[in-house]
Amino acid sequence: MARRDYLLGKFGIALLTLLFVLLLDFILFRVLPGDPIRAVIGRNVRISAEVQQSLREQFGLDKPVFPDQFVDTLGQWAQGNLGVSWSQRKPVSEILISKLWNTLLLIGLGQLLSIVLGAILGLLAGWKRKTPFDVGALTFSLIAWATPTFWLGIILLVAGSTWFGLPTGGIVSPENVGKPLHTVIPDLARHLILPTLTFTILYLGEYMLIMRSSILEVLSEDYILTARAKGMSHFQVLTKHGLKNAMLPMVTIIALNLGFTVSGAIYIETVFSYDGLGNLVQTALVKQDYPLLQGAFLLLAVSVIIANVLADFLYTYLDPRVKAN
Amino acid sequence: MKTRYTFFAVVTLLALVLSACGGGAPATQVATEAPAADSGSSVLKIGWLGEPDTLNPAYAFLTEAYTVFDLIYSPLVTEDSSGNYVGALAKEWSASGDGMTWTFTLKDGLKWHNGEALTANQVAWAINAIMTDPDGWAALSGYVGGFSEVTAPDEKTVQIVTEYPIANMKYRLSFLYAVYPPDFESFTTPEDLQNFTNDKPIGTGRFKLTTFDKDTGVLILDANPEYVDGAPIISQVIYQKFDSSDAMIQALKVGDIDLLSDVPASAFETVKGFEGVTAVAFEGRSFDELIINDVSEDNDPAPTGNPALKDPAVRLALETAMNRQDIIDIVLQGLGTPGDTIVPPTLGGGFWHNPNIKTPEFSIEKASQILEDAGYVKGADGVREKDGVRLEFRLQFDVDSSNYPRIADLLADWYSQIGIKATPEGVNSDTLIAATTGVGDFDLVIWGWGADPDPDFILSIMLTDQFVIGGWSDAGYHNPEYDQLYLDQQAAVNKDERQEIIYKMQDMVYNDRPYIVLYYSNYLQAYRSDRFTNFIESPLGLDDDASLAQAKPVQ
Repeated sequence: MARRDYLLGKFGIALLTLLFVLLLDFILFRVLPGDPIRAVIGRNVRISAEVQQSLREQFGLDKPVFPDQFVDTLGQWAQGNLGVSWSQRKPVSEILISKLWNTLLLIGLGQLLSIVLGAILGLLAGWKRKTPFDVGALTFSLIAWATPTFWLGIILLVAGSTWFGLPTGGIVSPENVGKPLHTVIPDLARHLILPTLTFTILYLGEYMLIMRSSILEVLSEDYILTARAKGMSHFQVLTKHGLKNAMLPMVTIIALNLGFTVSGAIYIETVFSYDGLGNLVQTALVKQDYPLLQGAFLLLAVSVIIANVLADFLYTYLDPRVKAN
Repeated sequence: MKTRYTFFAVVTLLALVLSACGGGAPATQVATEAPAADSGSSVLKIGWLGEPDTLNPAYAFLTEAYTVFDLIYSPLVTEDSSGNYVGALAKEWSASGDGMTWTFTLKDGLKWHNGEALTANQVAWAINAIMTDPDGWAALSGYVGGFSEVTAPDEKTVQIVTEYPIANMKYRLSFLYAVYPPDFESFTTPEDLQNFTNDKPIGTGRFKLTTFDKDTGVLILDANPEYVDGAPIISQVIYQKFDSSDAMIQALKVGDIDLLSDVPASAFETVKGFEGVTAVAFEGRSFDELIINDVSEDNDPAPTGNPALKDPAVRLALETAMNRQDIIDIVLQGLGTPGDTIVPPTLGGGFWHNPNIKTPEFSIEKASQILEDAGYVKGADGVREKDGVRLEFRLQFDVDSSNYPRIADLLADWYSQIGIKATPEGVNSDTLIAATTGVGDFDLVIWGWGADPDPDFILSIMLTDQFVIGGWSDAGYHNPEYDQLYLDQQAAVNKDERQEIIYKMQDMVYNDRPYIVLYYSNYLQAYRSDRFTNFIESPLGLDDDASLAQAKPVQ
């Protein structure tokens, strides 16, 4: 009962957040200065004022933002229609979905590697506190965490392409473009190595630090002492009592990151010319493609919200206190 | 459940690592063999930072699209690397005495990419399509203005009748591509036509398009063995889009690509040093300028520019106190030419640029003297003023450029020495457009233009009626005499007569100084000369149609 109420409460908050995000999403892109039509066509092309005007009418830009454009947009959203991209002239949802898989592949792989490696290394560092291993791991994670994404990406790109012949950009080689991804897995994997490595290193540090401090805290608890006193081995203490409790802060961070990594992928995707959501957002921003930006931000916001609801849900399994209350 | 999850994760991870290794081994082999294997190969890979917005000529606005059109489509005539117009589809042509009837004779053996023969009727159809639906053919309709009738009197002849003599007829025709009528016949509304993506274009050009992937920006073009002037030597061209110029430069270095269509000036020296790479700099068609608010007082909305900017003496001082060569050396690493008029020296092979314009020599003392003589006296803080108007200006620039902030610093420093306070401020280009064009809410702005091969477009940015929202004039220049000359040059069929008018227009803009042209920037490209050779170096670029026609792999 208590658990159901807890979840319902969290769910309600999530819904409210979503509504707020919808509103903000609309307003945000309209308070920006500038003329999207000019942004689409650039400065160095010849297009008459009349043609620009007809474009404006076509996109509904000739109408006032409030209430016309706002009512229009809300009505479309209510029908599940995210609109048509101005710059690509395709439905926004179609564009988002096609890019989403590429990004999920990249961040899924990167997150997985960084979580697994981060948890293991953090655990070891905490367990072997104040040994050279701990100092080394701590130094590494602080540097990794502080490294700018763009810079690390470029360094790895230069190193990887010079010494290992890895590709300098794209998701597959030009000759494989347009083929279904599962038919070109070796090529795809080669293109994924560097961006995934960049992603892994960037998040590894954070996970390691969290895991290390978390396990240190747990290991100082009375019940660990009790477990030791009962005669359990170090390994048993760590896996049976330490790990599960130390995972709680990790779950929170992972849930938060899962939402934000989509946007964090912007830098990595730009450096590696990777055809994903982050890259799409960047292009849409440059072209002031409101419908596409709105759609993308909605997707990002929803993924953050869903990730948080999932984390709350997981808590009910992991944390006895949530279970009881 | 949790255990299973982890297990699944580990399996996926292993699978991926294995596939990466598995795929990695042969791939690495390819990479190490690449120089040997590629030395005889004739696939030219070009890296660029953009991509065509669409392959539908009716509605394509980006330069990248036109680069591709020039390879796959042919117009009647086209510009060659020295700025002259030569026949593409047309073998020869003539204009009637009044300059209002143009007759083109087509070359023999013209074929579409699908093997069908091209007829004069189809060429006329393509031009007529633009004339009858100017809304739909938004991108090209400007080029058929003044056309009254286009016909095909026989199989080999196309005739164009115009309402008045058109001076830059050949330039205009070079954008009127012969598109394959069956691809374009079925559209009934402008929207239908514009939404057509034309991903499988059929043309008559030197190359056939086989792939255009909008998502990744990859374009693959095969040589057209049946091209009327003979097939190109290279067998394929691949365009690959990069989102970061650093990555693109690295790709050239390791040989992932063979040609860079646009090298950033800051990287030029580095690229020059790459082994097996030749970097070329040639005078391009673009310039950067200092825009001075010239908006008329009766404009609505009223301009907010400092009124002192209306004073010719202040404008002259602004120009005298700038050292163009310093800007080029410091900001462009020497890769540019000092600027003067808005018609770059490369247009028409140098025919249109007025060579008689002389810019004042850089001198802080002279500039100060000019202001002194005009009655501007220094206040306590060193800023000059006259009748309560202080020489204090906003100096805005487009933040998209890495050059402009440095130019702004240099200018602000020189100006402070002559008693002018200019405050640099970076803004994004949309904000700049919103503040300048049709509005006049600025003092000084650093910005740039890319000119067309024909001077018509770049001259049009100074027209009075272009100072409207959505127009091209940002300075707000207004000169009825200039506006009339613009119309005159459009109708001047005699080339020398047109040159004279255009010289006069440049004189006007130069002396009135709505713009102070800072420099003409160089066009920087680079290619793997250990793999390819024989390109044409011209303002059209190494990847221009004629250049790719003769480019060949190094044996």
